[in-house]
Amino acid sequence: MNAALSQTLIAAEEVSKEFLIPQGMWRRLTGQPRLAVHALNGVSFQINRGETLGIVGESGCGKSTLARCLVRLFDCDDGRVRFEGQDIADLKGADRRAFNRRVQMIFQDPYSSLNPRMRVREILGEALSVHKMRPRAQIPARIAELLDLVRLPSDAADKFPHEFSGGQRQRIGIARALAVEPDVLVADELVSALDVSVQAQVVNLLLQLQEKLHLTVVFVAHDLRLVRHISHRVAVMYLGKIVEIGPTEGLFSSPRHPYTKALLDAAPELDPTKRNRTVAARGELPSPINLPTGCLFNTRCPRAFDRCFVERPLLSDRTPAHRAACHLTDFGAPSLQNLEAIS
Amino acid sequence: MIPALEVRNLTTGFKTANGWVTAVKDVGFDVMPGEVVGLVGESGSGKSVTLHSILRLVHAPGIIEGSVKWQGRDLLTMSERELRKVRGGEIAMIFQEPMTALNPVLPVGIQIEENLSAHTALDGRQRAARARELMDLVGIPEAARRLKDYPHQFSGGMRQRVMIAIALASGPKLLLADEPTTALDVTIQDQILKLILDLRDELQMGVVLVTHDLGVVAATCDRMAVMYAGRIVETGTVVNVFAEPHHAYTRGLLGSVPRGGAGRTMLLSIEGTPPGLASIPPGCSFNPRCTFATDICRKETPMLAEFAPGRLVACHHHREVAAAGSPVA
Amino acid sequence: MTIVAANPAVRRRARISLPFTLVFGGVIIGLSTIVAFFPSLFAPYDPAAMDYNALLQAPTVAHPFGTDSFGRDVLTRVIHAYTVDMQIALFATLFPFVFGTIVGALVGYAGGWANALFGRVVDAIITFPFLVLVIAIVAVLGPGLVNMYVAVSVVGWVFYARLVATEVQVQKRLDYADSGRAMGYRPLRIIFRHLLPNAITPALVYWMTDMALAILLGSSLGYLGLGAQPPTAEWGVQIADGKNFMNTAWWISVFPGIAIVITGLGFSLVGDGLAELLRTKK
Repeated sequence: MNAALSQTLIAAEEVSKEFLIPQGMWRRLTGQPRLAVHALNGVSFQINRGETLGIVGESGCGKSTLARCLVRLFDCDDGRVRFEGQDIADLKGADRRAFNRRVQMIFQDPYSSLNPRMRVREILGEALSVHKMRPRAQIPARIAELLDLVRLPSDAADKFPHEFSGGQRQRIGIARALAVEPDVLVADELVSALDVSVQAQVVNLLLQLQEKLHLTVVFVAHDLRLVRHISHRVAVMYLGKIVEIGPTEGLFSSPRHPYTKALLDAAPELDPTKRNRTVAARGELPSPINLPTGCLFNTRCPRAFDRCFVERPLLSDRTPAHRAACHLTDFGAPSLQNLEAIS
Repeated sequence: MIPALEVRNLTTGFKTANGWVTAVKDVGFDVMPGEVVGLVGESGSGKSVTLHSILRLVHAPGIIEGSVKWQGRDLLTMSERELRKVRGGEIAMIFQEPMTALNPVLPVGIQIEENLSAHTALDGRQRAARARELMDLVGIPEAARRLKDYPHQFSGGMRQRVMIAIALASGPKLLLADEPTTALDVTIQDQILKLILDLRDELQMGVVLVTHDLGVVAATCDRMAVMYAGRIVETGTVVNVFAEPHHAYTRGLLGSVPRGGAGRTMLLSIEGTPPGLASIPPGCSFNPRCTFATDICRKETPMLAEFAPGRLVACHHHREVAAAGSPVA
Repeated sequence: MTIVAANPAVRRRARISLPFTLVFGGVIIGLSTIVAFFPSLFAPYDPAAMDYNALLQAPTVAHPFGTDSFGRDVLTRVIHAYTVDMQIALFATLFPFVFGTIVGALVGYAGGWANALFGRVVDAIITFPFLVLVIAIVAVLGPGLVNMYVAVSVVGWVFYARLVATEVQVQKRLDYADSGRAMGYRPLRIIFRHLLPNAITPALVYWMTDMALAILLGSSLGYLGLGAQPPTAEWGVQIADGKNFMNTAWWISVFPGIAIVITGLGFSLVGDGLAELLRTKK
């Protein structure tokens, strides 16, 4: 195994995904073009072994679609996702099952992500036996171990999902994912359905498990504070594109994309003495069916100029670690704040 | 200053399949004119029921006890007819999910005018003009054209603006807001919260804001009341409560929210889950999850008591909690 | 006993209170089944025995339900008819239930063109009135119970398949289905182990109602002479026998009619009770 391969575990290369809108008979007969929601519009990034990559954005930014492309619940229309260098769309049979084992997803809704008619013992046992993780005789012991790992009492095994609170159900979801000893966890809004005090418990658990089991984590969420707390690196998405990606602290302390800055300003701070009465970003998300030409953020950007309406900015590789897709910062200004200071 | 709204000993119970449960117990707070008061708590804390109880919007067989004094009159004992004038008139309410609170088969203009005709003496033409003004006021672009649109033609944020426009039609002196931004994205939430604050300044109305998000409280409220298992456990000015929480639950909540600067460290979480209404533990209802709890907490329910001007807490050990410091200070 | 009590799972299961409708309906169906298996234990006479000295006798102590135009004891024939009618209830619905459920689950999961094709098949079948279609098929195959089963099955599976397909389509959008796919489980496992148990309740409830309907249908066809053939004791055949004597000997038709109503009610109650018992807890 060469060094590059061991460093980058997952690579997304220009991933695009669109969903066709169901069309009436009349539109079809009259030959009108099919409308599509452009969920992902050329997303590229890498995930390194052992790191946590946060993917953050508002609803409709494509973050959940991206998560589903990473575990191949969706096949991408364009571009590819590579796992250890291999295009996952090419995986078949045993290779595909091995991939499905090694890259696990945890779902958002604790109420619908567990089969309501299966006991916890059956849910975990099924994962263990389908992937032949343990000989049959050792499965009960392994189930007890897994429950202990996610801090659930051992009598949880004989209960049904509806007998648990939301936070406990998310623990069951984590236990199921960990049952197959994966390398990667893709967590889609893991705690957003939970109460604040319970969120903290699950976040703490995730951090501990990651250290203990050397997991690579993709943490998809809309909550900036959470993403900032958990991630080594963060990617900010808007309308199906990554607009900024970089190391967490750099990105949060000196954002290079006006959308990132707007998101940061809009997220209320936990300090009542630092209030700000100016609105962070005016307007609303444009339709993902008819994308704006040029920069996707140009309809809401306070600093948009001529070029932004004509040319779509690319993720600049001027500074490889921290990159933003913005014409303003592309020409060498180190960050938006500096730019503001100059003007 | 005289409080516009005085809530005292508010207790709301519901009949369920397993007998009576108390959703709200002995809740009391004041709202001054032009003040924003935050009611904070997690699911099942009774914050939303409290808000609904103020206007007696509790479905039978629920019962409400105590008193809610609105400019000297008790809303809980007045006749349905008088109350109807107050509801949607002097006191307006907005909800978390505007799509279910708006009538889907009526254009929004008609819905605003409906409220105008119920609570003002304007004639038809004046109402139409006022409806347009209100849409402008809440920041809906192209207000004149959009009056004819139906709720489903608006985005989530715009729908919330429409609901606020309807609420403002009667010129209310108090706005009750039940998680108004929970369903919205953060940049839209920011717009709506700032809109509410601007309207508060312009119209001098009091606001009671129910939310689970401490960030929202920090950004918008003047005073706050923290609720747990149906009771208020701590109140005070937002600045003061954040700087020096005196209840272990408040402290835990503040610590549960990640802050910048301490990435990938353990959060100060609260073990366990909030109790169900039917299984509230004896003594202090927070005691099974509290790290400060002692024997007395398991036996005696602490009363909400004033320990400094304008600061109340219901905790046997609030000095120790305060001494432990604020996780956000 | 202590071992059982110490196992929390067992204790929990024991605490589930069965819906009243299920218990009541279950008792009716249970008793009906026992009678169906051992009619001679309950019947006072031989169902075929004719007594020319007691033709068209009104109910008496010797013949509580009276006698028919051949002097056969009506009570005996009502009891013996349980064997045939309970058999109709089961055999006319079992194949549609099983086959329709499997097809529905597969079609619902596959979606796309499979679902579109299935939709057309459903349309084609349900545009014909059910009874007319069944009568037409029996007319081609010839009268008799077995042919009736075939006719009902050819048409009946569609209703189950449609119910299950719709429910599977709802269920497969929920995250637990996706989580199965993300786990790398094979489609058949996801369909039958995960989706079907959550999607089958409406079909199961419909099955119970359908059994009641099957008895009515069997009786209707028997009445028309297309189902069970005389002299077999069958409620529909009995009612048909009695139709000429409605004004003079009402008991020949009325008692089998009551038996139909009670058995149908039993199945419906069980259906209702099952729906309540199997409702997913949130």
